[in-house]
Amino acid sequence: MGGHADPASLTIEADGQRLADVRAFIRALAAATGADEESTADLVQAVDELVCNVIEHGYRGGPGTIEVDAQVTGETIVVRIRDRAPAFDPRSVPPPDLDLPLERRPLGGMGIHLARTLTDRLDHRILPGGGNEVTLSKRLRPRTARESNDGDHDRPAERRPRGHRPGR
Amino acid sequence: MEITTDRPSADLAVIALAGELDGSNFERVIDAGRAALAEGATRVILDLSGLTYMGSSGLVAIHSIALLTHGREPVSPEDGWQAIHDIGSEAADGGDPTVYLAAPGPSVARVLERSGMAGLFPVHPDRDAAIAAASA
Repeated sequence: MGGHADPASLTIEADGQRLADVRAFIRALAAATGADEESTADLVQAVDELVCNVIEHGYRGGPGTIEVDAQVTGETIVVRIRDRAPAFDPRSVPPPDLDLPLERRPLGGMGIHLARTLTDRLDHRILPGGGNEVTLSKRLRPRTARESNDGDHDRPAERRPRGHRPGR
Repeated sequence: MEITTDRPSADLAVIALAGELDGSNFERVIDAGRAALAEGATRVILDLSGLTYMGSSGLVAIHSIALLTHGREPVSPEDGWQAIHDIGSEAADGGDPTVYLAAPGPSVARVLERSGMAGLFPVHPDRDAAIAAASA
């Protein structure tokens, strides 16, 4: 399954209907590296949340383009998300209080928190001509015949059953 | 994403979601909840078994339906800080659950856990168990 290191890219209009295409793009790249279900799903969600944020808050539902590219080196994937929206550093968003009861929770605000916790590294820079470049990197765990018994970074209750495959 | 609403009893609605729930379609889930409540349901089961993806927008949908079952209109951060402050000033009521989650797959369950939402709703392994709990 040795994945090639060729960069791949996808450019979309800032439209929520294209989020499924972004997820499929990332899923295919992760699959080509032989990544397991959980690290693939985490990566897909991180990218989805960040792109969705650009659509809803960066471009505020208006027109714009978003470029997503990815490069795989060994077991690490680096994904860059570029836009031409007003400057916004996702690292500036304070983490939500996960212990708040429902009635006191703000609606939303969870996407960037999830994107940050689901990746190993998240960087941001303002592009020279304006716009943002968010770069996330994540080490993908390989699929194994039997679930590895090494230190699982998730709680045991979240362990996935065997044979589960990511949906389309 | 497909949304199917069943009404096992007059005051209970089961809203089954299938496919991918994301920022493009979560408002349809809220609309389905709103419609069920308008038709007399007071409790809602969200059957998540068919979901292959749920982003944080799905959390907003679940949260919104819970607020609606309490007779409250969901307020987003875009509606301003005063609206959020108004929410905060209403203390949580510790009443019976009004929203139940059924059969989340592994990836959906992880999203619920990581957001702290899993602890705020009863989560049942399948739809029948949720219906039994909601009908008790």
